[in-house]
Amino acid sequence: MTGDALAALDLDPAEGGYLDLGWYDRIAQIVGAWRSLGEVPLARLPDADTQAAIQRLLCYEARLLDQERLVEWLSLFTQDCAYWIPTDVENRDPAKTVAWEFNDRRRLEERVERLGTGRAYSQAPATRITHLVTNVEMLTGGADRVHVLCNFLIQTNLAGRVSQRSGWNGYLLRQEAAGWRIVIKRVNLFDADLPQDNNSFTL
Amino acid sequence: MATAILQVAATGGTPEPQAGYSALFRPGYVHRDLYVDETLFRQEMADLFGRTWLYVGHESEVPEPNDFVTRRLGRRPVIFTRTRSGEVAVLVNRCPHRGALVCRAKSGNAGLFTCGYHAWSFSNDGRCVGIPMSGAYGEAFSRDAHNLMRPAKVDAYRGFVFAAMTDDVPDLITHLAGARAMLDQWIDRDEGRAVIVRNGDMQFRTHANWKTVYDNAGDGYHPPFSHISMLKVFAARYGDIDMQYYKGDFDDAPLLSKDLGNGHTMLDQRPSMHSESAWKRQHPHPSREVLEAQLVRQFGETRALEMLDASTGSGMNLNIFPNLLIIGNQIQVVEPVSVRETIVHWFSTTLEGVPDAINTIRMRMQEDFPSFGEVDDTAQFEACQDGLENVPEMEWVNIGRHMQTQRGYQDADGLWREPISSDLHLRSYYAAWLRIMEQGRRARSGAA
Repeated sequence: MTGDALAALDLDPAEGGYLDLGWYDRIAQIVGAWRSLGEVPLARLPDADTQAAIQRLLCYEARLLDQERLVEWLSLFTQDCAYWIPTDVENRDPAKTVAWEFNDRRRLEERVERLGTGRAYSQAPATRITHLVTNVEMLTGGADRVHVLCNFLIQTNLAGRVSQRSGWNGYLLRQEAAGWRIVIKRVNLFDADLPQDNNSFTL
Repeated sequence: MATAILQVAATGGTPEPQAGYSALFRPGYVHRDLYVDETLFRQEMADLFGRTWLYVGHESEVPEPNDFVTRRLGRRPVIFTRTRSGEVAVLVNRCPHRGALVCRAKSGNAGLFTCGYHAWSFSNDGRCVGIPMSGAYGEAFSRDAHNLMRPAKVDAYRGFVFAAMTDDVPDLITHLAGARAMLDQWIDRDEGRAVIVRNGDMQFRTHANWKTVYDNAGDGYHPPFSHISMLKVFAARYGDIDMQYYKGDFDDAPLLSKDLGNGHTMLDQRPSMHSESAWKRQHPHPSREVLEAQLVRQFGETRALEMLDASTGSGMNLNIFPNLLIIGNQIQVVEPVSVRETIVHWFSTTLEGVPDAINTIRMRMQEDFPSFGEVDDTAQFEACQDGLENVPEMEWVNIGRHMQTQRGYQDADGLWREPISSDLHLRSYYAAWLRIMEQGRRARSGAA
């Protein structure tokens, strides 16, 4: 990996504007760095305390999702966050490519509110889910920033129909007053470009 | 009028079951077999999808020579490509040798397709150009008789490419009937800027018969009920916006359902949605405010709003029977998989020659309905399939809204219209279904 590509890991996308075209470009650069990453450079390994704190966050997030505690889950995201499920398995430009979901903070709140109405028929009954998080790699970004790449397996059961989702997640985390918080979560379904069943629970 | 067959039945009492498919219909009802019978599904794939024009793809999906994408026309696998000389071509993706799919990639750029099994190869105009050790077939063997099959007819209307497996179809313009003018209106929204269809697509798998999807596309009855979760959230946050005009008896609202002929139909929400500014009626999506502000700075408020209105959802559900559904800014293609499984492709669209901000806004808006609305529709399709499959004692499905109310009339464009909640679309497309399927049945029994 070139030094230039690694340099994208030091970006914080909302520094310079949130949701404008430059912001999309910075996100795409970060994803490009994730995708071309070789072995994590030793110089970018977070210290042991940070690794433990992030492990704790990942497990906590999975537990909140599995228990449908989505309002609490929202509190793990920053005000300038993006939660993004692409339709491609490459790195197409998010400003020019439709996604399964592309949520800013407001959209993510609306999504949680929709599921909370009790009238979201796609989740009535709710999909039972269990998240497994594995293959966790961490590397430091800019000050108080850490990137996480990990694999996920989500076991689901919708009204008796059992199925799985899997792929990898890319996270950019930032240390805020309340603790480590999610700036970007990119959910990379391994078959995002192929037909998908009901994914209207929260990945 | 396209609904004649079903309308006549409505006044003639319950008809005696006749030979063929008409026993599946009675006034205001269709039989559950249409959704659950596997033999009927196979006949649909052979006859309905074999005897009418089907949408293949948009020319912009294969912009350069040798570009290709693979598709299904119903179940038939095809390669949609642009030849070396720049012509759009549709090739049936089935090796004339042993039947294997010749091209197994989703998309790419190739002048030559080589079957992986015995390496028979074909140029992208379908000609067989290579057969290893062909001498073994004997001297009378003709390579030219082993080209890739091509549909009997391929034609395009303003970028929309259609194909038919039989010659026995009217020309494409005649087939499109009243849908042609609506397609024009959809294409011409922003000064006729070219529509581009290569900015990603979503493929939804639904465990339901393909016609549950088609039923819903023209259903102006369900929105305030099926989509209440979405409407509630946005109303609570943003007030009188979006589809809040679906309230009370919304058959009195200026919304309509229209029969465009040959099974094509439309729900038209434009009189409500686009009466002032569709953009201003639209709930926010990511990037809305920041990109709107940028456009106003660059182009002034009037031009910015013109561009934004032209890129907000079209307010049309334009249903071109049997596999093309244009909804908002998206192009949907219905791909039946089995009697109880369907893939719905949602192709996103951008416009050529507009500011980048407009196309980014289009992307974020086109993510809106699929994950806030379509997911609930899909749940309804699957719930219908379950009930239809598992209660054989209840044979009939009601499609009778506004059959008896005398509220339909001929619109200024000569097309038949009814209130938005009508089942006009079902009666229209089932009339076309019956006509085409009967042609197939007669052709089969004639051949037997």
